[in-house]
Amino acid sequence: MRVVVLSSSPYSETSCATAAHLARLGFVPQGVLTLPSWDRRTLIRKLGQWGVGESLRYARVKLAPGKGGSPLGVRNLHLEKYLRHDRGVFRNIREVGEIHGFPVVTCRDQNSPGALAQLKQWAPDVAVFTGGNILREPLLKIPRLGVLNSHLALLPEIRGMSSPEWSLLCGVPLGITVHFMDGGIDTGPTLLRQEFRCDEKCDSFAELRNRMIAEGIKLLGEVVSGLDRGTLSAIPQASRNEDHQYFVMHDALKAEALRRWKKIQWAAATGKSDG
Amino acid sequence: MKSDLRAGNAPASDAETAFRHKSRSTKALMELSGLLRAPQRIPTLVFKLATDELRTGVEQHHLYSYVNTTLSSMDTLRSVVGWIFAAQGGDGGIAAYYSLLRGYSESYPEVTGYIIPTLYDYACETGDERGRRSAESAVRWLISLQMPSGAFPGGLHGVEAQASVFNTGQILQGLTRAHAETGDANILRSATAVGDWLGILQKPDGSWSGQGAYQGVAHTYYSMVSWALALLAEKSGSDRYGVAADRNIDWVLRHFQPGGWIDGINLQGHPSYLHFIAYVIQGTLECGILRRRGDAIQAAADSAWVLLRRFETHKFLFGTYEAGFKGGLRFSCLTGNAQMSCIWLRLFQVTGELRFLNAALKMNEMLKRQVRSRGRAGVAGGVAGSYPIWGPYQPLRYISWGCKFFADALLLEQRFMREVGASECA
Repeated sequence: MRVVVLSSSPYSETSCATAAHLARLGFVPQGVLTLPSWDRRTLIRKLGQWGVGESLRYARVKLAPGKGGSPLGVRNLHLEKYLRHDRGVFRNIREVGEIHGFPVVTCRDQNSPGALAQLKQWAPDVAVFTGGNILREPLLKIPRLGVLNSHLALLPEIRGMSSPEWSLLCGVPLGITVHFMDGGIDTGPTLLRQEFRCDEKCDSFAELRNRMIAEGIKLLGEVVSGLDRGTLSAIPQASRNEDHQYFVMHDALKAEALRRWKKIQWAAATGKSDG
Repeated sequence: MKSDLRAGNAPASDAETAFRHKSRSTKALMELSGLLRAPQRIPTLVFKLATDELRTGVEQHHLYSYVNTTLSSMDTLRSVVGWIFAAQGGDGGIAAYYSLLRGYSESYPEVTGYIIPTLYDYACETGDERGRRSAESAVRWLISLQMPSGAFPGGLHGVEAQASVFNTGQILQGLTRAHAETGDANILRSATAVGDWLGILQKPDGSWSGQGAYQGVAHTYYSMVSWALALLAEKSGSDRYGVAADRNIDWVLRHFQPGGWIDGINLQGHPSYLHFIAYVIQGTLECGILRRRGDAIQAAADSAWVLLRRFETHKFLFGTYEAGFKGGLRFSCLTGNAQMSCIWLRLFQVTGELRFLNAALKMNEMLKRQVRSRGRAGVAGGVAGSYPIWGPYQPLRYISWGCKFFADALLLEQRFMREVGASECA
């Protein structure tokens, strides 16, 4: 199985963890196509997703390991198991490439002619999307089977942004879906759909997301293995025409979703509901 | 508010258009001359121009949805309603706008009328009795202006004396609410006189055109008049006003297109500002709710959903739209934004769809960032016509109807956020 990883930044922990995990499973990527470290759109998106405080914390963890994160300088502690190697932890995708022997190519836009030419040269069976641009049709058509994405909610119920938060607010179980990407927003055929259970205490969305991202990487590995063995097939999403797309959630609603999440956790821990 | 300054005109000829251009130039010169009479306004003007230039240069439109503002909705509400209090004259009339060039305008009967429900709602929400007193003072002033026919004059007080269907309908909203609050029979008599006059002028197809209609033609944004008639029907117990509202809504609904676009705004010489589009949707929705018309609610929801998706994906709404919502002028019509927030909040109430609430909350954040809590009277708490301030909709002005709709949006936000917190599951 020829695999390519698409990354939003050389420093993306999710990309590093995904590439390293796939390599350990025996699917060493043909290459990683990444946006540059200082891509304006990525920075704006991250600033939007994390907020200023969390973004600064991330920068601090990367620049001064041991302060505010793990001693090894990992922001998402649940990815440490994927990022560890004999000599420490992977800090960027180039280090993963050096250890596992695959090239890393930087591009300004993953849909650009140069990026498409590089992808065609790698001739992947599947590409694994861990972040970057909105992918256009020409790129989506290059991998023989398609482009995989791990979405942090059950599909088709919750598509789009702030998906764990919307799941909680709309009363849909938390979950992760690995699916092929198509021209829509999270509308492609699904391969694996799994509810997410959190047995340990988790009292922030940042922490919940970190756990879900780590679980998503595990599921991506299972899906690539399943596709390689031929035991998995894609299922078109039901109600594709219904508008299940959700958008970035306002902080006030996030606070309400968090309140409901804590209530679910409290009920699970004590075995009772407060009515 | 639609500036129905010249009611009852026929569509413009070339000569009229030329006259209008000349008249606009004259108006612009008159506005500028205001600065010569009051040079103390120059620093405020320069500051606003500079800050908007800086903000539009540095801050991208697409950041609106991501803003985590620290401004409290209640503090902003107090500022915005404070602007309305400051714009109210001793006679009870409320100015149409504060111009950075000329200062406060004359009082505007239309806005003074339909701002009344906002003032009562504010008093209920905050316990600030100034809201109630301000509303009652506004009602007294309005009743003194009512024509023997039952109609009210369009335009600014003392500038225009022709009866206007739209402005009269907007004032009816305030009269109906004031009667509900006070039980005053005089106010009800005034309101029913309005309803009767509107009934006489209504065309067999349900529209209003010709006498009393802006530019002499029918407009779909007169759905706001239907809303007022539906309110009157409910409060007076006389269904003939409700029947008139239904007839107009039937006519308006024929102009809703499958993609959500609405034809028939019919304003010659004006682009389709978001303000007018939102008027059609808001009037149709509110009338639909009052008259229990699923077809009207659905049509309004479909159009509002199209604009919600535009807002969520582009992170802002254009100030104008072309047919089919195919784009328009890239500036923010802040009043239209506030109206869309009100519409989304009401649709959340009706449908329970949380995405309407989410979009409205984000829109309110964007608007809160446009309101200065401090500064000179007329600016502090004011909602500008356009962002940036030199945009084409009411340039260089803080407008009372912008404050009205934004206050409404913040009041609805307060109410519904309490409900969301109280409900177990959406």
